[in-house]
Amino acid sequence: MRRSLFGRSWPNVIALVLLVFFAFPVYWMVSTSFKPNKDIISKTPVFIPFHATLEHFSTAFKAPQFWEMAGNSLLVTVIAVGASLVIATLAAFAVARMRFRGRKAFILVIMLAQMAPWEVMVISVYLIVRDNNMLNSLVPLMIFYMMMVLPFTVWTLRGFIAAVPKELEESAMVDGCTRPQAFVRVVFPLLVPGLMSTSLFGFITAWNEFPLVLVLNKATGPGTAQTLPVWLSSFQTNFGDDWGATMAASTVFALPILVLFLFFQRKAVGGQTAGAVKG
Amino acid sequence: MKRQLIAAVGVAAMVVGVAACSSSKSSDTASSSSSKPANYNGKTLTAWFMDGSAPQAWQDGVKADFESQFPGAKLNIQIQKWDGIGQKITTALSEGSVDVLEVGNTQTAGYAATGGLLDITKDKADLGGSDWASNLNASSVLDGKQYAAPWYFANRVVIYNKGLWTKAGISGAPKTLDEFYQDLDKLKAAGVGNPIYLPGQEWYTYFGLLAGTGGQIAKQSGSSWVGNLESPEAKAAFQTYQKLQSYSAAPKDKDEATPQQMTIFPKGDVGAMIGLGWEAPAPKDMPADNVGYFPLPGLTADKPSGVFLGGSNLAVAQASKNQDLAKGFLKIALSDKYEGMMAAAGLVPNKTSLNALATSDYAKAAIPASTNGATTPNIPAWANVENTPNPIKDFMAAALQGGDYDSLAKKYDDEITKRLAQKN
Amino acid sequence: MAVQSDPVRAQAPGPSNTDGAVPGDSLSGPRRSGPGLLSRFAPYALLAPAMLATLTLLLWPLVNTFVLSLQNLNKRQLIQHLTEWTGFSNYTDQLTSADFWHTTERSVVFTAINVVLIMVGGTLVGLLLNRLGSKMRLTLGVGLILAWAMPFVAQSTVYLWLFDSRYGVVNWGLDKLGWHSMATYNWTGNQASTFFVIILLIVWGSIPFVAFNMYAGLTTIPTELYEAARMDGAGAFKIFSSVIYPSLKPFFLGTTFLEIIWVFKSFTQVYTIDGGGPERSTETMPVYSFVEGIGNQHFGVGSAIAILTMVMLALAMVPYFRVILKQEDEL
Repeated sequence: MRRSLFGRSWPNVIALVLLVFFAFPVYWMVSTSFKPNKDIISKTPVFIPFHATLEHFSTAFKAPQFWEMAGNSLLVTVIAVGASLVIATLAAFAVARMRFRGRKAFILVIMLAQMAPWEVMVISVYLIVRDNNMLNSLVPLMIFYMMMVLPFTVWTLRGFIAAVPKELEESAMVDGCTRPQAFVRVVFPLLVPGLMSTSLFGFITAWNEFPLVLVLNKATGPGTAQTLPVWLSSFQTNFGDDWGATMAASTVFALPILVLFLFFQRKAVGGQTAGAVKG
Repeated sequence: MKRQLIAAVGVAAMVVGVAACSSSKSSDTASSSSSKPANYNGKTLTAWFMDGSAPQAWQDGVKADFESQFPGAKLNIQIQKWDGIGQKITTALSEGSVDVLEVGNTQTAGYAATGGLLDITKDKADLGGSDWASNLNASSVLDGKQYAAPWYFANRVVIYNKGLWTKAGISGAPKTLDEFYQDLDKLKAAGVGNPIYLPGQEWYTYFGLLAGTGGQIAKQSGSSWVGNLESPEAKAAFQTYQKLQSYSAAPKDKDEATPQQMTIFPKGDVGAMIGLGWEAPAPKDMPADNVGYFPLPGLTADKPSGVFLGGSNLAVAQASKNQDLAKGFLKIALSDKYEGMMAAAGLVPNKTSLNALATSDYAKAAIPASTNGATTPNIPAWANVENTPNPIKDFMAAALQGGDYDSLAKKYDDEITKRLAQKN
Repeated sequence: MAVQSDPVRAQAPGPSNTDGAVPGDSLSGPRRSGPGLLSRFAPYALLAPAMLATLTLLLWPLVNTFVLSLQNLNKRQLIQHLTEWTGFSNYTDQLTSADFWHTTERSVVFTAINVVLIMVGGTLVGLLLNRLGSKMRLTLGVGLILAWAMPFVAQSTVYLWLFDSRYGVVNWGLDKLGWHSMATYNWTGNQASTFFVIILLIVWGSIPFVAFNMYAGLTTIPTELYEAARMDGAGAFKIFSSVIYPSLKPFFLGTTFLEIIWVFKSFTQVYTIDGGGPERSTETMPVYSFVEGIGNQHFGVGSAIAILTMVMLALAMVPYFRVILKQEDEL
C-alpha cells in the first residue's frame, strides 16, 4: 500500500496544486494585510510583501470599540460553547449508553434541531428578546449560540462516547466506582480529544454568527454588545475600497480560529470522523 | 402654562437673534431658562445621527450644551450607517431604545405613518418652526401634523480636482453639459483613470437629472402612485446619466457608498465626483485649494441640471421615555447657533435667514443648484421603495450593463408600483 | 452494569461502524435489580437540560415564527406592538407568487450543484490524502484546514478581494493567461458569474470537511479487502465501487445529507457576496426570507417564507431520517 510514497509523483503534484487552491485565499488575505497600499493597488499583483507594513493593522485596531467587541466575541463564544458541552455530554451519555423509552424520539429531535435554519428565525428571536427586555446584552447571544451548537455537540459526543469501550467503564465499576465516578475517571479522560474537536466546531459557529447579533444589538459606542462579525462587516462598508485595512481586519477576525484549528488539527480531524458523520 | 409662555419668549429671542444675524448667544439664553433645574440624574438621551451628517464640532457642542442645560442627563450619540437603515429604525422605534433620531426626508412620511414618531405640532413654535423654510418643512408634515423638524438639506454638486484639470489643460468650470463632456474627454486624454467617479447606482443624481427636466420617477394615477421609468423624460435623463457614467471606471452595480466615493477621490486619479459637502476631502488628504466645486451643468448655460434635494429631519420617538428631554434636545440642536454651524459646513439650514452663513465654496455651488431641485413624492409608501434592494438602483445597474431600457423600465415600474401600493 | 449490557464491540472510531452508538440491549428483559427506579429515571434526568434548552430556545422561536407567519406584521404593527391576524394569506400569497417558485427552483438547483461538487471533490481529495506520503499529507492537510477554519464573513471578504474587478488577482491571472477580456471583469455583474463565485466559495470551504472524513474513513478499511479485490483484477474504479463505497456507505449518506442541509440554508456566503443581487437573481430561500422579511420589513411574510423553507428542508430530509431510524432499530 505504500507504492505512492516515492515511486510515482503525480499524487504529489496534484497535492501541491490543491494546496495552492485551498491555501491561497488565506495566504492572500494575510499577505495583503501586510502590504503597503501601492503594492495592493498595482496592476501587477505583488505576491510576497517585501515592504511589509503594519499600518493596516493599526487602522483596524483603532476602529472604535474594537477591543470591546473582541472581548464580547470571546466571552460569548466561550460561555456558549462551554455550556453546550456540559449539557450535551449529559445527553450524549444517556443516548449512547442507555436504552430507554423515547430515545429514538430524542435522536429525531436532535437531528431536526441540527437543521434548524436560524438565519430565517431571526425575526422571531428578535421579538422574543425584545419583549423580554434583553436587547443590547450579551446574555441572549450566549443562550441562543449555546442552542445553535447544542444539537451538533450532542450528535458528535454521542459518537465519541459510544466509541469508548464499555469494558473500561465496567471494570471501573467492578473496582467499586459508582457510575458517575466511572464516567468522570475513565470515560471522561478518553473523551477529551472529542470534546476539543467538538468545541472547535461550536467555537466556529458562535464566533461566526452574524444575522442575529446584527438585529439584536444595535447600540454602538462604549458598552456595546456587538461582536466582531458586526465590526468586520461595518469595517467593510467604511473601508470598502481600502483592501489592506479590510484584509487586516479579516485576518484579525480569522486568526483565533485558524490557530485553534492548526493546533488541534489531528484531534479535530479524527474527532469529526468519530462523531459527526457516523449517521 | 408656564412652559408655553417661556416658549413664546424663546421664539421672540430667537427672532431677535436671527435679525442680528446669528449672534449665537440668543438661543442659549432663551433655552437655558426653559426647564426646572436638575432632576435629570441618571437619565440618558439616545440620539441617532447618520454617518456624515453632523460635524464633530456640532456633536461636541450640542452634547456640552445639552448636558449643562439638563444637569445629570447624558447624551448618547450613536452614528448609524445608511445601508439597511430602514430596518434599524423600525426595530429601534418599536423598542423605545432611541429617543431622538435623524430621519431622511424621503422616509419621514413613512415613519410618521407607522405611529413611531411623536407628534410635535404643539412644540413647533417653541422649536422655532415659524421661521422654517416651508419647502424644507414639507417632508416633516403628514396630514397636517408635524412629526419631525427639518434639520438640514443638501444637494450634490460636482467636486473636482483642480490640479488634474489644470494638467489636462482645462480652465474654468463648464457651463453646459456638452462643455462638461469635453472636459471629461480632455481628462481622459490626459490619462486620468476616472475623469469622473460615478458608480452606476447613484440614483440621487439620476433623480436630479430627471426632476430638472420636469419628469417624475413616480407619478400619481388616480388615487394611487405608479412607477414612471417608462416615461420619455426618464429615458432621456437616463441617457445623460449613462453618458456621464461612461467616463467612470466605477462599478456599474454599486452605489456611491460602497465603497465610499469620498475615500477614492483623494487618491488623485479621480477628476471629479458628484457629491455632498461632507464628502469633499479633508485638508490632510488634499489641500483645500486643490478642490473646486460647481453645479452639475444643464443642457443650456442658463440653468444647471436638476438636483435631488436630500435632507434630514430630526424626530422624537413615540416610545421614548424621555420625551421632554428629547424636545429640549431638539431645541438646542435646532437653535440658530447649531443650525448656523450646519450652514457653515455647507448644508442648507432650515431657515433662509441663515443661508448667509453658507459661505463655503461648496455651498456657493450648491445653493444656486438647489433652486432647480426636487424630492421624492411625500407619501408614506415612498419609504418602501428605498428598502434594500432598491428597485431604482437595480434598474440602473441592469440598464447600464447593457439591458434593454424599455423592458427593464417596465419591469421595475411594476416593482415600484407594487411597493408604492404596499400597506403599512 | 445495571441498565444495559452490551455485546463487546471494540470499535475503532471511524465511519465504518454502521453506527457507533446504542450499545444498550433491549433483549435483556427484566432488568437485574440494582438501583432500579433511579436508573430508570437516570436517562431522563440526563436529557432534561438538553430537552429544556431545545424546548425554550428552539421550539419557542419556531412556534413563534409560525404564529408570526399568520399575522399582518409590517412596520406599523411592529412599532406599535399590534397583532393583526390574517390567517394563511401570507402563505397563499407566497405559494401563488412567481418569485417564490423561481427562488425555490433556484435554491434546489444551487444546492444540487454545490452538493455534487462538494461530495465528488471531497471524495477525490480524501482518496488522494490516503495515497500521499505522510509529509505531503500533512502539508495538504494544513492547506485544507486553513480553508476549512476560515470564518464565513472573512471567507466572503477575501473572495470579494480575489475577484475584485480592478485589482483582483483572479482577473490579473486570467488576463495573463491570455484571456484579455477578463482583465477588469465584474464578477458580480450577472447571475451566472455571481453564482460562480458563490459556489466556488462554498465548495472551497466545504471540501476539507468531506475530504478529512473520507480519509479517516479510508484508514479504517482493512488492507485485506483491497488486496482481495486487486487479486480479482479490479481496477481503481472497481475497487472504489466494490470495496470503498460499500464500506463507507454510512459516511457518504451522512455527509451528503449534512451538506444538503448546510448548503440549502447557507445565508452568510450568499448574502455577503452580493446581497442576492444583481437584480435579486442570486437570492436563495434564506436570503429571500431575509430580504422580504427584514429588508422590506414585512415580518409576517418573512416568517411565512421561513416556515416554507423549513418544510422544504424537512421534506428533503425524510429519506435520511428513515435510514437513521432504521439503523437505530437494527441495533
